[in-house]
Amino acid sequence: MIALLRNPRLHLVLRLLLGAVFVYASLDKIWDPAAFARIVYQWQVVGPVPSNLVAVTLPWIELAAGLLLIAGVWKRESALVIALLLVVFIVAAGSVMARGIDVENCGCVSVAKAGPPSDWPPAWTKGVGWFLVSRNLVFLGAALALAIVTPQRRA
Amino acid sequence: MHRDGACYFRDMAVHWKRFILILVAGVAAGFAWNAASGRGFALGRSVLVQAGDELVEAADAGALLRRGALFLDARPRDFWRMSRIPGSLPLPEEDFDRAFAEAEPQVRRASGIVVYCSGFGCEASHIVARKLRERGFIAAILDEGLPAWQDLGLPIDAEPRS
Repeated sequence: MIALLRNPRLHLVLRLLLGAVFVYASLDKIWDPAAFARIVYQWQVVGPVPSNLVAVTLPWIELAAGLLLIAGVWKRESALVIALLLVVFIVAAGSVMARGIDVENCGCVSVAKAGPPSDWPPAWTKGVGWFLVSRNLVFLGAALALAIVTPQRRA
Repeated sequence: MHRDGACYFRDMAVHWKRFILILVAGVAAGFAWNAASGRGFALGRSVLVQAGDELVEAADAGALLRRGALFLDARPRDFWRMSRIPGSLPLPEEDFDRAFAEAEPQVRRASGIVVYCSGFGCEASHIVARKLRERGFIAAILDEGLPAWQDLGLPIDAEPRS
């Protein structure tokens, strides 16, 4: 297992994928911060003004960490930043689910208003629920692997 | 000179200054973008509130109810059917025109109007109040919606309606 996790090719693939996901996820939120602030507020984890501050800053942290990860600069630290964000997302999603709040669009990638129910992709992939938590746990595993395991030097 | 072990250990180190710097740079870029890009918004108040919106705190709204103000429920109609502020009429955002036609006589007679929805991220009350304003009616928005109302123990009519 450790040998597999130390495989430099695996590191490269994880790094590019995770970085791309975070860069892509940041763009729509950066383009329309007010729409993202509405979604953060809907999560009801923080109040209206803190929601604004989260909405304005969070996508830029995602973008910065994602770009560094893709570029292979400060890999460990950018992977740790992403891991930290993912832990926050998972805890917040758990809190939303425990309180039974219905968030139709988690705002993870797109801040567009939820379309009609027949839209593809299905609603459960967009809202806050088990799908989101599972996906984030997979991302967290990848981020922690990048942050903690040192890739084997090629001989 | 370096033994393999030493190199390996040095590789393992996390530079916490870099970690902090990524966070700080992200925060700084976010504020700069919000201030300078033209796509930003006012950070000091709820993003749902726009110029011209009039908000009323739950305690003051309770006093308005006792004085006979008309309450309008901007949530989907099924929510209103289940429970509502006493005497309120349904005026759901997504069915505004039809619901407004039904409620219009009472809206015209009302001595004061308060619109509410389910609070927190709910924008429906804001949108409905603006639509009323377009039609010439001044309506206050219940700040933080029904949760704030219920927190103060103000009355709720939970008798199901058809």
